[in-house]
Amino acid sequence: MNPRHLRENAGLREKLAAEYVLGTLRGRARRRLETWMGDEPLLRQAIAEWRERLYRLAELGAAVQPSAQVWNRIEKTLELQGRRNTPRRILWRRLIESLHVWRGPGITSTVLAGLLAAVLVTRQAAPPISAATQLAVLLDERTGPALLVSADAGQRLLTVRVLARLRVAPDRSLELWAVPRQGAPRSLGLLASEGTTKLPLPEDAAPLQAASLAVSLEPEGGSPIRNAPSGPILYKGAWAGT
Amino acid sequence: MSITDSQQRQLREWLAAVARHDAEAFRSLYNATSSKLFGFALRILARREWAEEALQESFISIWNSAGTYQFEFAAPMTWMAAIVRNKALDILRRAGDSMQAAADGFDPEILSALESPDPTPIEALQTSSSAKALARCLALLEATHRQAIVLAFYHELSYSDAARRMHIPIGTVKTWIRRGLEQLRRCMNGLEHA
Repeated sequence: MNPRHLRENAGLREKLAAEYVLGTLRGRARRRLETWMGDEPLLRQAIAEWRERLYRLAELGAAVQPSAQVWNRIEKTLELQGRRNTPRRILWRRLIESLHVWRGPGITSTVLAGLLAAVLVTRQAAPPISAATQLAVLLDERTGPALLVSADAGQRLLTVRVLARLRVAPDRSLELWAVPRQGAPRSLGLLASEGTTKLPLPEDAAPLQAASLAVSLEPEGGSPIRNAPSGPILYKGAWAGT
Repeated sequence: MSITDSQQRQLREWLAAVARHDAEAFRSLYNATSSKLFGFALRILARREWAEEALQESFISIWNSAGTYQFEFAAPMTWMAAIVRNKALDILRRAGDSMQAAADGFDPEILSALESPDPTPIEALQTSSSAKALARCLALLEATHRQAIVLAFYHELSYSDAARRMHIPIGTVKTWIRRGLEQLRRCMNGLEHA
């Protein structure tokens, strides 16, 4: 079987999409379907339709009130109290927008780090960028800059901006990792495949001291393995100036 | 509470705001959906404290990944329910065999509505019209086919797991599930285009 069979045979496509969403499609067959998804819009659509059908099961049943502690723990974990609802437009966003002018394949990370440094210097006349802000450009090995990560230690906020078109199947997630020189990687959260994602920066300094940052392709919802990516690393990079 | 169709748009708006890390919208989203999603997690995990853990992890994930939500690919409840199912199944896997999973994933009220020859109980369910469409179509399936599909969905069973659980040959369970799914698709497409 190959992707052409799926394009031409609607019955086969529906059968595999249904078993994929239900979960009975396993092992090699499942992984193979996942690798085809990115290039097969009809397959993606069939899977999306099966999700809409089968996940209605979630609504077929009694609603049950969870205890108030659940919300309290969520609120505490995400540090929601006292959070401002409209994050202010910070300097680095303008900085990235100016970087857009230069981006393109073939730019090496060294060149990009140089560009960042140049931008930082020339922008000094504008409101100064917080000393606590760190920047990293994550690269696709073949096509160059893919993501720009900024860490604001003051606001405990990581902001990840997509610089290039990333192709991610709808049921896959991109997960950002802090990779220390020694020890286990640490998940920093899931990323949107376009636009900007904001993530809470964990309290300790580990992510900022990480030797590198990496983005892996994961099943929807993130790596099923604790403290390790389960899928391929698509983009990587390091904090500028480290 | 039930998730009515007019609420879908509201849920989408809240999700979009959550993507911008709007804490108030997140609270509203939680208030509107947590009891439905908690009921769902309970049907997978049976144990209250585990279902609460699954719900908590799910909403943390919703907060962190709302930016990846694409409304053209999934209804908000579908997207959130998929997260809840993944988290609940993770917990189920971590618990291993020590956990006796819930019977067949349906509350008695739903089961009797599905098995009633009279359509009234399904129409009376407090749920969205698309969930009612699923219920109507599930009701038309052979009970064994329906049971196999629902069992596989709630417990992430492979064909061989499902065969063992239902004490039938693997070939039989494959046939039941595949026929059931195909019938479900035809039926739901028919209702949609009716």
